Amino acid sequence: MNDYIIKCENLGFTYSENIEGETSAAEEIPALKNITLGIKRGEYLAVLGHNGSGKSTLAKLLNMILTPTVGKIYIDGVDITAEDFTEDDVFAIRRKIGMVFQNPDNQLVATVVEEDVAFGPENLGLPREEIRRRVNSSLALVGMQNYMRHAPHKLSGGQKQRVAIAGIIAMKPEVIIFDESTAMLDPLGRREVIEIMERLNREEGITVINITHYMEEAARADRVVVINDGELALDGTPKKVFSKVARLHSMGLEAPQGNELVLLLRDAGCRIDGDSLTEEECVETLYNFISKEKTI
Amino acid sequence: MISDITLGQFFPGYSPIHKLDPRTKIILATLFIVAVFVANNPASFLLIGVVALILVAVSRISMSVILKGIKPILFILLFTALINIFMTKGEGAPLVEFWIIKIYKEGIIRAILMALRVIILIIGTSILLTYTTSPIALTDGLESLLSPLKKIKVPVHTFAMMMSIALRFIPTLVEETEKIMNAQKSRGADFTSGSLVQRAKALVPILIPLFVSSFKRAEELATAMECRCYRGDVGRTKMVKLEYRARDYIFLAAFLLIIGLMISLAILPYKFELDGILYGVPFYKV
Amino acid sequence: MNEILKIENVSFVYGKGTPFEKVALDNVSVSFKKGRITGLIGHTGSGKSTLVNLLNGLYKPEEGRVYLDGEDIWEKPKEIAKIRYRVGLVMQYPEYQLFDETVRADIGFAPRNLGLSPEEVEERVIEAARFAGVSPDLLDKSPFELSGGQKRRVAIAGIIAMRPDVLVLDEPAAGLDPRGRREILGGLREYVNTLGTSVILVSHSMEDMAHYCDDVVVMNNAKVYKTGTVEEIFSEAESLTAVGLDVPVVSRVAIALKNRGINLEGTLYTTEGLRDAILSYLKGGKK
Repeated sequence: MNDYIIKCENLGFTYSENIEGETSAAEEIPALKNITLGIKRGEYLAVLGHNGSGKSTLAKLLNMILTPTVGKIYIDGVDITAEDFTEDDVFAIRRKIGMVFQNPDNQLVATVVEEDVAFGPENLGLPREEIRRRVNSSLALVGMQNYMRHAPHKLSGGQKQRVAIAGIIAMKPEVIIFDESTAMLDPLGRREVIEIMERLNREEGITVINITHYMEEAARADRVVVINDGELALDGTPKKVFSKVARLHSMGLEAPQGNELVLLLRDAGCRIDGDSLTEEECVETLYNFISKEKTI
Repeated sequence: MISDITLGQFFPGYSPIHKLDPRTKIILATLFIVAVFVANNPASFLLIGVVALILVAVSRISMSVILKGIKPILFILLFTALINIFMTKGEGAPLVEFWIIKIYKEGIIRAILMALRVIILIIGTSILLTYTTSPIALTDGLESLLSPLKKIKVPVHTFAMMMSIALRFIPTLVEETEKIMNAQKSRGADFTSGSLVQRAKALVPILIPLFVSSFKRAEELATAMECRCYRGDVGRTKMVKLEYRARDYIFLAAFLLIIGLMISLAILPYKFELDGILYGVPFYKV
Repeated sequence: MNEILKIENVSFVYGKGTPFEKVALDNVSVSFKKGRITGLIGHTGSGKSTLVNLLNGLYKPEEGRVYLDGEDIWEKPKEIAKIRYRVGLVMQYPEYQLFDETVRADIGFAPRNLGLSPEEVEERVIEAARFAGVSPDLLDKSPFELSGGQKRRVAIAGIIAMRPDVLVLDEPAAGLDPRGRREILGGLREYVNTLGTSVILVSHSMEDMAHYCDDVVVMNNAKVYKTGTVEEIFSEAESLTAVGLDVPVVSRVAIALKNRGINLEGTLYTTEGLRDAILSYLKGGKK
């Protein structure tokens, strides 16, 4: 009955600087406008957009850090924008939707890795043995089981981020939102985090939402949503979204290099058919095109 | 170098003292401090000194670490010892007398006792607390010991959480300060020369960025904690539950025994004579 | 002289004599050419950050020498501050160094430290803001009101305002979106050409190297692994993958095509280059 784990209807949000509520509507630019979006259980979704496009605001709305100005959000069929939502209800939602942030330093609370991972389950009031079990299995899942007693500040960026992910997994969420979680990492750390993300989606059945501005990351998802100036600009498979190279450029984004190359060739008058999202597809498409042209 | 100071550092290990419940260690340390201040004659000093040395041996913390820990306060020790030597007036004839300086037997004894007291105090408390207990365990222990205060609405949990977060972020902030200093040095900032006012002014380009980033960190951390369902100690459990074990009771009993002995040595009205020196009453009343 | 910065037999060890001892640079010799943009690439821990801190005298080499325009920078250790004006270092995430009330004052911090007159300071601020892409209407705002990308550019302007002989940028585009990257890196060429200075660009991204640099220095395991022009470095893409560095996707596509019998010629590491190579290959085939 309920395919969608998350559903947004005509969602809008405007940051108001003025606490007294004397806002002058004319000066305010909404961060999000009219977003209608359904995210299916078990989906691997990438949300793409330039800095300040409103993509992080969306994440904060889903996790009830912010409350929408207009529109509705349903999490697992529950209307979280309902008036009679209590504090307990809020925590019930946060338990379902885990969030990993950008700066790995600013989301670790404890001075020892295992105690940090235990923080979430402890807040949930779980029995001690259950917390211990979850800490062990979460750290194993992200490959950090050998660092249990380490101090977080001595780990690399990628390792810190893996600990942060373990802390979220330990709460057994149904959805994990990665809010630019790879932006501050080096290529190796980025690869580690992406691999874990995908493993969680495939093997644990967790719905993964990766908010990013790296095209290569977005290209790996099942579905890409592009947000531009607070509006939902594109929505579809990576193949479909990244074929609109010119549109992406106009939004300050890029397509993966293969698509960019094929577009350049098409602009130069070449008639190329086929996909070029992945490296292999690009090679195949170019090879077919060049051999066809050569034989003519 | 900051990293050379061992005082206040934690040295992970598996000795019986490391394994004690942090609450026990806090209680023991308190008893120890009382004992050190009660001690006022050779017998009681000997006793508490031996206790301190036994603690060192049991904790398997190396003597060099302990000596390094005393080093930073060596100057203060010497200074107070000298003051004691020169300023104490005795009843008998001075031992040494030249110009306006008179040194009495009482002064020397008092100086030695004072120094011993401080050294024993530092060794005992750092072995019991900082050297063998992780900061988190310490805050947990403190929170648990102070939890009766929750009944009179003292926010014990909040204080403990603040303390542990502060401890978590000290290394991060030290690193950040170093980074900002290097960045400003690269823009020609000079922190080492000029008058006091100039030097104080030179700190502005470090302090402002440090504050700005600390506030940002605090805000992000608060959000991250909320996302992990943190709501104070409402319905919160703990992975590691503090539990008194046999060894805690043994240590507690031993300490109570020692402290009892100390107090009786110090205050009971008895005395005995050995080699012409009178024991059992405070020196300065001899 | 063709070399602006030269490193000779430099070694650097962290925590010497402790159990945490780590060799960051092992007898490294490398030079950076005047008037060019040189890319410095390598893994985290390859020694490139240490090298950067040695270039402007934040670290002192234990062994070996660092020459700026032919002079040993540690000749007079007391005057090392002067070297820091000549080798301008933009550190990673430089926006954390902003502190002053206005953007103008912040960019002017280094020129004021140099002891320049208010007019000269103003002139430097305007010039630096232009090269770093800080628009003039931002100058009187507080740096803390700006967006992340704008703050980054203000911080870079703060270094350019010293008019350094060499501008060293450590991951200047880290965490920025494609537009932000282009705005910062795209301005470097004009800066170098107009002022005749040199730039050292530290980056993890091979695409950045391919797009914005003339020369490349590849670091690996505390040593210089390879140096050369961009063409030379990327013509041996296999040796880069051998040390675990990513080659631009475009290069990999060109290699794959070559393996299937299509021998392209030209600049095979940027999208534009590969397009031209394919177009000329097709023309060549038809004649």
